[in-house]
Amino acid sequence: MTSLEIKNINKHYGAVQALHDVSLSINKGEFVTLLGPSGSGKTTVLKILAGFEPVTSGQVLMEGRDVTALPPEKRNFGLVFQGYALFPHMSVYDNIAYPLRVRRQSKAMIDERVLAALDLVQLRKFANRRPQELSGGQQQRVALARALVFKPDVLLLDEPMSALDKQLRHDLQEELREIHRSLGTTFINVTHDQEEAMHMSDRIAIMDHGQIKQYDTAHQLYRRPASRFVAEFVGKSNVFQGEVRGSGSSARFYSASFEMPLADAQTGASTVMIRPEDAEITTTAPNDGRITLPVQVISSTYSGDRALYTLLQSDGADFIAYAPARSGVFPDGTDIFVSFASQDVIALA
Amino acid sequence: MSRLIYWVSVTFCASFLILPLVVVWPLAFNPSSFLTYPMEGFTFDWFAKVLSDPGWTRPMLNSVRVALGVTVLAVVIGGLAALGVMMTRRGTQIVLSALFVSPLVVPSVVVAVALAYAFGRTGVGGGYLSLVLAHSIVAAPLVFLSVMTSLRGLDPNLDLAGASLGASRIYRFFTVTLPLTAPGFAAGAVFAFITSFDEVVLALFLADPGSSTLPIALFAGLRDRLEPPIVVVAVLLSVLSVLFLMLLNYLQKRHAAPRS
Repeated sequence: MTSLEIKNINKHYGAVQALHDVSLSINKGEFVTLLGPSGSGKTTVLKILAGFEPVTSGQVLMEGRDVTALPPEKRNFGLVFQGYALFPHMSVYDNIAYPLRVRRQSKAMIDERVLAALDLVQLRKFANRRPQELSGGQQQRVALARALVFKPDVLLLDEPMSALDKQLRHDLQEELREIHRSLGTTFINVTHDQEEAMHMSDRIAIMDHGQIKQYDTAHQLYRRPASRFVAEFVGKSNVFQGEVRGSGSSARFYSASFEMPLADAQTGASTVMIRPEDAEITTTAPNDGRITLPVQVISSTYSGDRALYTLLQSDGADFIAYAPARSGVFPDGTDIFVSFASQDVIALA
Repeated sequence: MSRLIYWVSVTFCASFLILPLVVVWPLAFNPSSFLTYPMEGFTFDWFAKVLSDPGWTRPMLNSVRVALGVTVLAVVIGGLAALGVMMTRRGTQIVLSALFVSPLVVPSVVVAVALAYAFGRTGVGGGYLSLVLAHSIVAAPLVFLSVMTSLRGLDPNLDLAGASLGASRIYRFFTVTLPLTAPGFAAGAVFAFITSFDEVVLALFLADPGSSTLPIALFAGLRDRLEPPIVVVAVLLSVLSVLFLMLLNYLQKRHAAPRS
């Protein structure tokens, strides 16, 4: 069931168009992430959803109701700010109680719900502290509790992890997923961190230059990217330019270094991609029907379970590939072969 | 070398600014009715005389009454102006700020003449009300500047956070903006009080005999009879100023604390 729907939103700042015809439909209880580089318009979408920015044209619908012109205080959307925006003159308890006091809840009700929210983020013993006395991760959880305590229809998260270190970020991602699962509230997260997006989201909207490039599950984005931009933004990839000859089932892709049948590709697709984990590295050419390219090791990054190789192709382009590293890594300069099956090659529009 | 420059400049400024004041102060405790050294003894008689003379106490009370009225009016006007200007765009902010601060730049004599004429024409007349209005014009920009500084230091996301949590603009002002910028409002209020309390030019033009303020009484005293009571009043004013300075300092320290 559709909970929140964004319909054909355009946003201009003077002569600059920040959003081009953005449409997005989000189901009730879904965890959706807007992912894109800085300046892609993802934060603008969030500000429009929160009610901080007016739209130039288009609509925001909440369960079918038009909320486009509603001020933020009338929307009942929770928002976790990038810098947390906790009230420094109030205790943790008072920060979380704020939205309940605004709604004139009874003292007993406030007490019950604030303590429940504190338990949810495991900060009960910090209730009487000031926000400044807490660590970044704790402040983040207070902000989360404050944005959830009034049972908002939608929770908006503006780069919630960006100020935290890597380990903390990972823990909080887990915690956030857990909270999302237990509450069933619709979550909309904004980030430029693709790993975070893939870990947490049911669906991800990839944004670039004020447009939504693709809106799909993490798996579909990774395995079936709609464009070169998406393929390169989500995960690592080896992109080949070439040309397609023939059409339908007899279509073939030709690049400078190899050719292959292109079964499901639309004719004219001239860009294909191979994920680094789909390629295999061998010291001799395997001759098993897979596409094989002679390459030379430029560098390798060893990470215990495997190594990431940067390889030099004969035409001078780079190729990156993962390989198991149980018996060490090939030294730089080694001539080896990289092979991949044609069904693992992904055609890009 | 820099220490030497520091001490030379401090000594020079201190002697230039403070010495003339310090030289006069002891004469408030001199039994002689002439303002001359050497001192003939030590007495509080002149203080008793000033504090029991309606010629001094009435202007003092008038000054306090005017200054309190000015403080209230200037905080409301200056505070509202600052809040409003902060909501506008950057370009507009610069223009409006310059406009609100302009009474500080226009010579008081010009303002005084203009107001005396305007009040006379409209029948607001001399006395308490006209003095409060006139002083507020000069005091409001000080409140405006002080509150603006506080508001600029405030994270704008706090207000947005309040809005996203369901709070109306007025609720947000009283629960978030005001508590966090209170030191700015308080400092502005102190500035407004001091400004009104020792303002001479506007008061000379606008006060009638019944609403004459302390600075006017001092001024008249300087002209008519140069006696120790003038120095006594000067000492009292200095003490008051020092107290206010300490208060300002305390407020600023409190303001700086939560940000660290």
